[in-house]
Amino acid sequence: MATTAVAANARRRSLRRNRLYLAGLTPAAFLLALFFVGPALWALASSFTNRALVGLDAANPRFVGLDNYIRLFSDPDFGRVILNSVVFVIGSAIIGQFVLGLLLALLLDHAQRRGFLATSLVYASVLLAWVNPTIIAGFLWVAMFDYYNGSLNSGLQLLGIGPVNWLGQGPMLAIVIANTWRGTAFVMLIFLGALRTIPTDIYEAARVDGAGPFRRFWDHTLPLLRPIAALTLLSVTIATFGTFILIQALTNGGPALQTEVIALYAYHEAFQNHAVGYGSTIAVVMLALNFAFAAVFLRWSRPRV
Amino acid sequence: MDEVIRRQITRRRFLQLGAVTAVAAACTPAATGTPLPSTGASAAPGGSAAPAGSGAPAGSAAAITGTINVSYPDEAGLKPKYVEQAAAALKAQYPGADVKIDLQKVGDDDFYTKLLLALDSGTGPDVFHVGGTSAGELADASYIEPLDSYVSQWADWSQYPDAVRSGVTYKGSVWAIPYGLDMRWLYYRKDDLQKAGLPADWQPANVQAILDAATAVKNANEPNVLPYALYAGPAGSSGTADHAFVPLLWAYGGELQDSSGKWIGDSPATQKVLTYYQNAYNGLSPKEILTETKPWTAMREKLGNGQLALLYEGGWVYGGWASADKAGTQQNVGYVLHPTESGGPSFTVGGPGTCWYISSRSANKQGAWEFIKAMNSAEIVGKLNAEDPHPVARQDAAEIPEFKSDPYLVASTAALSKAKFVAPDPGYSKVIEAIQKVTASVAAGEMSPADASKQYTTYLSQALGADKVTTQS
Repeated sequence: MATTAVAANARRRSLRRNRLYLAGLTPAAFLLALFFVGPALWALASSFTNRALVGLDAANPRFVGLDNYIRLFSDPDFGRVILNSVVFVIGSAIIGQFVLGLLLALLLDHAQRRGFLATSLVYASVLLAWVNPTIIAGFLWVAMFDYYNGSLNSGLQLLGIGPVNWLGQGPMLAIVIANTWRGTAFVMLIFLGALRTIPTDIYEAARVDGAGPFRRFWDHTLPLLRPIAALTLLSVTIATFGTFILIQALTNGGPALQTEVIALYAYHEAFQNHAVGYGSTIAVVMLALNFAFAAVFLRWSRPRV
Repeated sequence: MDEVIRRQITRRRFLQLGAVTAVAAACTPAATGTPLPSTGASAAPGGSAAPAGSGAPAGSAAAITGTINVSYPDEAGLKPKYVEQAAAALKAQYPGADVKIDLQKVGDDDFYTKLLLALDSGTGPDVFHVGGTSAGELADASYIEPLDSYVSQWADWSQYPDAVRSGVTYKGSVWAIPYGLDMRWLYYRKDDLQKAGLPADWQPANVQAILDAATAVKNANEPNVLPYALYAGPAGSSGTADHAFVPLLWAYGGELQDSSGKWIGDSPATQKVLTYYQNAYNGLSPKEILTETKPWTAMREKLGNGQLALLYEGGWVYGGWASADKAGTQQNVGYVLHPTESGGPSFTVGGPGTCWYISSRSANKQGAWEFIKAMNSAEIVGKLNAEDPHPVARQDAAEIPEFKSDPYLVASTAALSKAKFVAPDPGYSKVIEAIQKVTASVAAGEMSPADASKQYTTYLSQALGADKVTTQS
């Protein structure tokens, strides 16, 4: 009897405490529902229809069951699109933004701790790539890579070489470089913040124990960075997976399908070919893949004992 | 047999277009008496298809009031002054009416997508200006208003030849009013060809001769001169079909559809076209066409200034070169019809051009129609087409001196008698997508012509349904 009263009291207390949290969460939950869950559910519903922007299907959209999914998985281009997306994510998000961002953060942190003066200059120049709107970043790289008027080819011409068709000969490399340049600053910022939270005495103790720089990084820095690293990796992977403005500005998926990634493919189907139902199907598959990434990374981020 | 019937129909249509030619250029004397096509184009049925939802009877003299929203794309900057002129004329005639003009300085594709999104959400302008080949899919989507009851009470409609009407007729109704027709030329730079040892009045003996001329230009090694530009891939937009794949297909004796209306995928002609692509992209046509945004900007600019020797393009493109440098253009830019596999210049690809439509959801359809009438007066149509060179859609517009005195316009109008048209079919936009994908694969060197031709069948079947696609061997 007494125990149940205690339990009820505890429940009431926890409810009161949680009510505050719930109230705090409501605006965010509302916005998420409005801008994420709502459209996602709309896309899911659309993916079971033949909705189109023009033609007979626009006048009479109807439920087509799994037709779009069957079509997608027998689409001769879909395998290529997935492969392109994987290459783009590994190349520009994981190897590019993540590894480069981490290295830059370590370097800057080290330089800062030693009072190196040019640190802020480097910091600012990396940050500049990030503060540009994506479409501007895209055009900056078009200005660089363009065959006829690009600065790379103009430079080569001064040396009597070229011109080189950068976007035609190495289209995937070009978009990987552009996206790496664009997103490295974000990773660097996060890691710089995280590195500053690591107390210096940990390193001093390690140094006293005779650990070299690599050992100190592997045994102390990396484990402490792991939770933040996983979240960063998750966010850059998802952002890169959904990248399309940058690629649209640079190659628009071409030549042929060489840089057609999943987000671009969904856009092209829905808004260029006006097949909204089919485009939504691609978007739903993309969402499912993002959930899978999230599950893997979040699992990895759990601190290990 | 089927092919023979199709050819006859096409030839008949050519001859009707000769009527336009006769007026402007007096160069197809035998054409005018040809019978009408059985497309129902002439069926301006005595007011039978009354437009749903429009209050006043079409063509009545009732005063027009309220706002008329007009939306159109224009990147070249040639149309705005005529749109303003039409709006002013309408406002002068109907003081109670107001015209709100929404000029979109974007490409036609972007404009179309934006328009479709607006129409899909139940909004959008009263009057809009998009390609006449979209009439079928827009009508199927119930976005546009049939214009039969309007044109039946419009005296000027008699100025539009049946062949022009049939280009905007779908399922027996007229859906749009064209101002100028599309036709295309194989342009060549006389100066570049001469440097490559070819005559200034070059005439390709057959399709292969285009590639031969391009090879000669390439071997001449003139700095900064590209031999040839062939539209390919999605980046080429509808030009990949209308300025490249379709004329090549016809040149090689192929057709887009068979006599039963099925789209033809893999065929000997398709394989020949894709082999032509392979050869053209083997060092003659720049691969940047596959990745540039709006590759035609550079292509057109370079032909205009002599940095590109050969280009099959829309007739209207000539206007840009002529307005920049008329004498230089007349001296250096040659133009011929498209050759065939075994013969010289003999045909062009025709089309209804960009047309004016009324939204089916418009609350002011009568006002919208009055605007279209004002915009398509003989004077505006004549002047606009003289500046933005197209053969005129209404015959009397070619009577103005600007039009009659221009040898290029006279030649373009005459060429209509040699034009072959893509049949109005709402499936064509899906076919264009398939064409874009396979030409890109071959141009990028990813696929052999034979494989790409088979892939063309796959893409067509996927987009249109296997029952609407056939192959030929």
